[in-house]
Amino acid sequence: MKECVLFYFLALCSAKPFVLPPKYMALTDLMMNDMDDDVDDDNDSDDDDDDNDRNSLFPFKRNMPLRPTLPPFNMFPTCPFGCQCYLKVVQCSDLGLASIPAKIPPDTRLLDLQNNKIKEIKEKDLQGLTSLSALFLNNNKLYKVHPKAFQSTNKLRRLYLSHNQLTEIPANLPKSLAELRIHDNKVKKVQKDSFKGMNSLHVLEMSANPLENEGIEPGAFEGLTVFHVRIAEAKLTSIPKGLPSSIYELHLDHNKISSVELEDFIRYKELQRLGLGHNKIKDVENGSLAYIPRVREIHLENNKLKKVPSGISDLKYLQVLFLHSNNIGKVDVNDFCPPPSKMKKSLYSGISLFGNPVKYWEVQPATFRCTLGRNSVQMGNFRK
Amino acid sequence: MKAVIILTLFATVCYSKPFYQKGLFDFMLEDDGSGTDIVPVDVPVGPTCPFRCQCHLRVVQCSDIGLEQVPKNIPPDTTLLDLQNNKITEIKEDDFKNLKNLHALILVNNKIKSISPGAFASLTKLERLYLSKNNLKELPTNMPKSLQELRVHENMVTKVKKSVFDGLNNMIVIELGTNPIESSGIEKGAFQGMKKLSYLRIADTNITNVPKGLPASLTELHLDGNKIAKVDSDSLNGLNNLAKLGLSYNNIISVENGSVSNVPHLRELHLDHNSLTLVPAGLNEHKYIQVVYLHNNKIAAVSTNDFCPIGYNTKKASYTGISLFSNPVQYWEIQPATFRCVYERSAIQIGNYK
Repeated sequence: MKECVLFYFLALCSAKPFVLPPKYMALTDLMMNDMDDDVDDDNDSDDDDDDNDRNSLFPFKRNMPLRPTLPPFNMFPTCPFGCQCYLKVVQCSDLGLASIPAKIPPDTRLLDLQNNKIKEIKEKDLQGLTSLSALFLNNNKLYKVHPKAFQSTNKLRRLYLSHNQLTEIPANLPKSLAELRIHDNKVKKVQKDSFKGMNSLHVLEMSANPLENEGIEPGAFEGLTVFHVRIAEAKLTSIPKGLPSSIYELHLDHNKISSVELEDFIRYKELQRLGLGHNKIKDVENGSLAYIPRVREIHLENNKLKKVPSGISDLKYLQVLFLHSNNIGKVDVNDFCPPPSKMKKSLYSGISLFGNPVKYWEVQPATFRCTLGRNSVQMGNFRK
Repeated sequence: MKAVIILTLFATVCYSKPFYQKGLFDFMLEDDGSGTDIVPVDVPVGPTCPFRCQCHLRVVQCSDIGLEQVPKNIPPDTTLLDLQNNKITEIKEDDFKNLKNLHALILVNNKIKSISPGAFASLTKLERLYLSKNNLKELPTNMPKSLQELRVHENMVTKVKKSVFDGLNNMIVIELGTNPIESSGIEKGAFQGMKKLSYLRIADTNITNVPKGLPASLTELHLDGNKIAKVDSDSLNGLNNLAKLGLSYNNIISVENGSVSNVPHLRELHLDHNSLTLVPAGLNEHKYIQVVYLHNNKIAAVSTNDFCPIGYNTKKASYTGISLFSNPVQYWEIQPATFRCVYERSAIQIGNYK
């Protein structure tokens, strides 16, 4: 493992210099650079596939549409009307489109279709877009995605489906995905095969869906190495247990979670940021936080805690702890900081306790002996 | 002490790399538990990422997290800041103060009502500003001179003042669709100074005329879904670079003679869903036009010379799309010779599709 970290470190340090993109194309290039880098970071399985294709007897993929040869004096490249096409970016947002336009240039890398009225991704809508790496379909009226719609987009890295009417995670999404956003839809279920084979999925945002704990089928996240998971504003009543063990950030705010149980974090040893604000948590079971020794930031504001969770003072790297707007009536001098014999590796930069019944004059100053400074603690019962 | 030295070295090396990685990948720089000696002590190392956002390669992604204001502690070297789909109501004077490297700012789909006059002033490298789907009644003032693309779709903007675009000489794309803009609200010459403006869209508003005094640099003008009743030839005068003109879904009764010849490089003209009774004059002498949409109008007759040159073919680009369906004219009343300069049969859609 140590070697592994070293390797990454070397890779990062020797990465190619960030070249400033030509003026107008900044955004595009940023996204592209980003994608290129993501690809570089991966193992090369995707590329191997491509090589196979290139070496095969048939130079084109079977699904490549036969594009009619352009008339002799058509001197202009095609671009769907109203869209802007430049440098492999096709920008078709805000056009009131009712369907995905035809004539998208086959070498498109970024296709922005957000803020339209698209209801459906049909089987052939994305056909031939083999270079596509980002597809923005957020803010549409999508309720249906054909199971073969993504058949040719096998380089797709970012897929934004937020703010649509989807009731499930579309089947057969490309395995190449690194980021999937499906915020504010009507997803009730995460099927076992939804993310199957997505070895480079890093970010998964599926908040604001009517998702219950039972809706996540066991094994749905098996084998994945997702780093950032957000299932906020859903109907979760407890911390989901089957999430990828690689998670580094977990956000479950605005759910109906009522307690944190002993083994809730047993698989999430890498966790560094944890968002549990705006739930109904009454109790954090003793010992549960010991499973996430590397956590740096915990948000537990707007819950029903009666005391500072036990085990907080053992978290050597914890820097930010939000506990405001709870029901905490008493704070003990050793709730936050370890005894002098044990060293805290990073001092607190933010503790919030306002909006609790406890009075600031009842909290001993020594309680905060391991904070960076005075401004690190917000106590006052902020009420005007 | 040893640990401190190692740490210092570690930190220096990290800062010297060409771009830093934070957020998604910064866990890779952390210890993995086995090497607890080398661990940042006391002060958090490097800039932090706002909670629940993802910061990766100078891109700060904070969409869909219910933010009510612009978060603090955005890394100062951020180049792209995505704040879309939140509940931000206001942009304050200092919200973006330190983001001198910001190239793109995405504020789409919030509840922004007001933008402090100086909020964007320090963003001297900003090229793209996306403000669509908000509650703005006015376009922001003091936008940076570096701006190239402005999208303010679906707001409550009624007026376009000249002062707003004053000095924005790098502007290339402006999208102002779905706003209650009136023709009288567009100040004369509002767009004139923008010598690089290439794309302008003012669709689904209340304007009743094609705005006058548009810059000659325009290549695309989209005015569909408005209340335009007539196309005046002088409003298109001087648009020598215009290639695409969208006027669908208006109430256009006539296209004034000379309009088409005023835009000599037009290749695509959309006039579908209007109230035209005739094919616009001048198409037959136009050398580059390739697409003419005239479906869903009130055209009752098509003459043999409406589309193609009278003598021998002087067109420099052939038609690829002409639509005439959903008009009173019957296809058998149109003489085949009408399309003598069209080489691709499928380019013409006549049949009354119903």
